[in-house]
Amino acid sequence: MATNFNISTAFGRNAGLFPDNSALVVGADRFTYGELASLVQRLAGILAPVLTHGRVGILATRSTEACAGILTTAWAGGTYVPIGLKLPEERLIALFEMLQLDALIVDKAGERLLSDTLIAAAPRLILAPGETRGDFKALKGSLSATPGPAMPTPVKVGPSHTAYIEFTSGTTGTPKGVMVSAGAVAAYLEAMHTWYDFGPEDRAAETCDITFDLSVHNMLTTWKAGAELHIMRPLDMIAPARFVNSHRITTWLSVPSVVAMTRKTGGLSPSSMRTLRISLFCGEPLPASAARAWAEAAPNSVIDNIYGPTEATIACLRQTWSAGGRETASRAIVAIGQPYPAMQAEIVDPEGRPVEDGTAGEIALAGAQLADGYFQQPELTAARFPTREGTRWYLTGDRGYRDPDGVFHHLGRLDNQIKLHGHRIELEEIDTHLRAATATEMAVVVAWPLSHGSAEGLVGFYAAAPHDGKQIRERLALVLPPHMIPDRFEAIETMPLNANGKIDRNALFRRLEAGEVELERAS
Amino acid sequence: MTSVNIETVRGTIAEMLAARDQEADFADDESLFDSGRLDSIAAVNLLLALENDYGVDLSDPDFNVSQIDTLQEIVQLVSTHQS
Repeated sequence: MATNFNISTAFGRNAGLFPDNSALVVGADRFTYGELASLVQRLAGILAPVLTHGRVGILATRSTEACAGILTTAWAGGTYVPIGLKLPEERLIALFEMLQLDALIVDKAGERLLSDTLIAAAPRLILAPGETRGDFKALKGSLSATPGPAMPTPVKVGPSHTAYIEFTSGTTGTPKGVMVSAGAVAAYLEAMHTWYDFGPEDRAAETCDITFDLSVHNMLTTWKAGAELHIMRPLDMIAPARFVNSHRITTWLSVPSVVAMTRKTGGLSPSSMRTLRISLFCGEPLPASAARAWAEAAPNSVIDNIYGPTEATIACLRQTWSAGGRETASRAIVAIGQPYPAMQAEIVDPEGRPVEDGTAGEIALAGAQLADGYFQQPELTAARFPTREGTRWYLTGDRGYRDPDGVFHHLGRLDNQIKLHGHRIELEEIDTHLRAATATEMAVVVAWPLSHGSAEGLVGFYAAAPHDGKQIRERLALVLPPHMIPDRFEAIETMPLNANGKIDRNALFRRLEAGEVELERAS
Repeated sequence: MTSVNIETVRGTIAEMLAARDQEADFADDESLFDSGRLDSIAAVNLLLALENDYGVDLSDPDFNVSQIDTLQEIVQLVSTHQS
């Protein structure tokens, strides 16, 4: 019998093996594998009859409904699409139109967003939290009085089935959907389980929203192991040691900026997290100082840095750090290490030819974890996922080099993609909307200040008569999520241009670094 | 020691909401963070403000920083943890 690549298969198997173990803890609420499985089986019976192409939106996060919605979609043979709760209505409607979802699953926070306009644009079946714990009700549409029978086992899918579509910022002004196959997820999980031996005794923390693919790691490594997943509230994130202790968390994966945020409030004292045995960081450069502080706080834990874009399924290079791991000295960050077993990495020049060790170039990735491409964007997919001599690559846009020992190092970006508090942002996407909001083509956004290669803020520049910053902000808030709205806006007389006649973003960055911007404003 | 002035704390939070294009009005028992109105970066800034303005000792192990979801909780927390 061929393997079932359905991402909910391992969860289903553990529901049979350990029905009384906890699978999910959300605040005071706790679901055993048995309880969660019976909910998923029942909901899948409702969802399966409406699936055509299979895409199901999950307008939820950090909740029972988010987890149950993802498992149910998978179980019923669909493709789950996490949708951010902070997106403005205009953007949600555009997403619904693009995705033509078969169904939408919402939690209480998601349900509050459902205005009449949004419901009109939403799919015909919307499942929202019901009256009793773990229950769902149909909000609108064609849910029959006799929903389909509960589905005892997950639908069988092959490795090419699209497991999920994760949206990330796009340079054209609209986000792009990365389609990740069940086979790519399986290759990732195989590598992680071999290294970390996750087991039923583990207790993992869900540190991020489901719109980040780190959540895929947190959910699926945990449920594959028969372990417990503890959902963190946003407020828990500022005091992780408190959360780790009160839930005796053993495994952790988060973005490194959590460490910096925690240190600001003095919340990371030595030996404050003794229950942790595995700590992984991903999604941004990991400052060596942050790794050291975490290692002191979690003396029983290995600390590893994992690297990879959503387009290569969560992470695909790893640098073990605790056992005398390697740093990228020029940036005071932890190196990104070596490829996962099913992956290969190369540093290539602009023509796609491999360069010698020690030479900087673009990081290119190949192997079983590569995504299938961007949803409904074949040209962009062909450009970023070229096939060379029979091998399909993904060009990351990350600059890096490989050292003589075969260890990869990250040097930043070749383009204008930035990381801001863990969010991946293409600055051009904000530029597009800033130009509309200020009614001038001469407008750009600069990521500033920077710390260890990650942005800590955004400044919008425009060469036009000064607008009221509040008005610009309000215009942007109609089309962009809050984390993409600049902190300040500066009107300047003339926009610096580079040799190609394009706006020189670096020149504006240098002015900010030199503290010259206020002077210009006054003149 | 400065006693907790609920209106000052309310003002600080109203400024944070305004900076994020949110209605600056909120009820004393209204969820600020779990509801998604403010993010964890705002939470850090709020804690630092409490430390500066009211002498709250953030490193006190009994100080549960996750109990600042409503104005009521914040005032309660601050009044029991001033150094």
